[in-house]
Amino acid sequence: MSGDQSGKGILSFVPLFGPFLLLWFIFWLVPLFTGLELSFTGHVTEMASDGTMVGEYKATWGNYQAALGDSKWVKSLGNTTLFVVGSITSTLTLSFFLASVIFRMHRVSQAICLFLLIVPSLALPGTLAKLFYLFFHGKSGVLNQFLVMPLGFQQVNWMMNPDWILPCLVFQSVWRWTGLITLLLFCGMQAIPRWQFETASLEGANRGMVLQTILFPGVRHLLWFAAIFLLVDGVAAFSGAYNLLGGSGGVLDAGLLFVTYVYQVAFPGGSGRFDLPLASAMSLAVAIATTGIAYFLIWSSSIKGVAK
Amino acid sequence: MVLLLTTYPFLWMFFSSFKTNQEIYRTAHIIPEFFDFFAYKLLFSNDLIKFDEVLLRSLFLSGGQAVLACLVTAATGYAIAVGRFRGKRLLFLAAMLLILYPKQALSLFLFEWMVRLGITGSLYGLLFSGVASGLGVVFFAQVFKKIPPELVDLARLEGKSHFGCFLTFLPLVKPALITYGILHFLLSWQEHLLPLLVLKSDELTLPLALAKLSDSSYRIPEAVGLAAGVVALLPMLILFGISFKRIRSALSDWVVS
Repeated sequence: MSGDQSGKGILSFVPLFGPFLLLWFIFWLVPLFTGLELSFTGHVTEMASDGTMVGEYKATWGNYQAALGDSKWVKSLGNTTLFVVGSITSTLTLSFFLASVIFRMHRVSQAICLFLLIVPSLALPGTLAKLFYLFFHGKSGVLNQFLVMPLGFQQVNWMMNPDWILPCLVFQSVWRWTGLITLLLFCGMQAIPRWQFETASLEGANRGMVLQTILFPGVRHLLWFAAIFLLVDGVAAFSGAYNLLGGSGGVLDAGLLFVTYVYQVAFPGGSGRFDLPLASAMSLAVAIATTGIAYFLIWSSSIKGVAK
Repeated sequence: MVLLLTTYPFLWMFFSSFKTNQEIYRTAHIIPEFFDFFAYKLLFSNDLIKFDEVLLRSLFLSGGQAVLACLVTAATGYAIAVGRFRGKRLLFLAAMLLILYPKQALSLFLFEWMVRLGITGSLYGLLFSGVASGLGVVFFAQVFKKIPPELVDLARLEGKSHFGCFLTFLPLVKPALITYGILHFLLSWQEHLLPLLVLKSDELTLPLALAKLSDSSYRIPEAVGLAAGVVALLPMLILFGISFKRIRSALSDWVVS
């Protein structure tokens, strides 16, 4: 292999990774430290000797303490956790099932099914939210007409019922990502050596056994990858909920996601607080937790092998 | 059943972009009574928003980011795959951190940093902020790992620099470049929060325009928002349609590496 372990070796690669590192520094590392600095910035007001109030900015843990005491933030974290767990489990289960069904189809049918499934991934999250509101939602919406009422239940007012707001957001996320994850898993299944299926066939294995002993282990690393992708995307989810709930958290904040709340805290028009330091503390606290979980997932999978 | 649930709403969206509000609320009906193009005319008349500018802005941002991200991340991926130098693992860690804590989650800090730099409202500031991608680096590192080391050594023996070797091998990974380029274009096309924070209120991208058109306080006919959804979906459908075979092939190659 090219290169060596000396300083000269790294210099010859600088033209290759230099632009990436520069952009990473300017648009990732420095903003992160900017956020860190902001999160420790507190406005302290004290009474001066002449009786006037004097304000100054001091480094403080106050924003983190305030975040922990903010019940809406805690609620948004709970909602986001449920949203992420719901999205990951539903999307991965459905995608694996669909990929295994499409895998057994004829080549032309495979291409058509995969392309049609991917369409929601190509749409803007705002389009999905609008479609959900106009097509699935409402008294005459498809969910009530074809799912709820035929089973003999009362019509559900999806966005006004706090019990249903979060499942609706999960539904949107599953609808959006299932096609893309199915495509990824399908490609993984295609890469499994043919002799494994032939051996299973000779030994009389049924479809369930093939699924369990060949297909699932064959795409397990991709399921990890997809879980990390959905975890990161779910924690940072904003657009779908913003469009569907108009920037609010919905009834009783049942659909208040973490990023939406941080946005509300940081900028007027939400709750009008314009409290960037508090919003920064909230963001960083969650970033540390998410990074830890994703780091664990990555090191449990095979992605780390690339750097070797 | 799943295919129907996935794609039927988009057919409904297309046909509903020709309908009146009254027809739209009767979701069971798919074909409009009349094919009235009023929503498209209104959308491109620039009376509501300057939609042609919105479209061009989104195309410029997403296209620019996709092209630059392909070049920058492919070069870094090549360095990680082929090179053996001190700090390689740190470089990979930097890319992984970008995946774990992506730009979307960093938007607030990025906005504050851009305010300090005085580049809020700048389309170029927004464009360059989305070029460095951790996913791209990991993707291309795996792609370039497939190039036989003997080929790299041969190119080096011919006196080529590492950058020269990278340029030589770049055409070999064309399907991967197209695949990643389209994926990056898609993610940039769908980005909502950072443009919302950074761009001026009259400089919208497609997700912001769609949110504005869906705002009930503007009392805009539903068909206009649906027409915008159709227009926003078309470039992605065309891009994926043309390259779908290549994307499948590149992904199949990538998943085994």
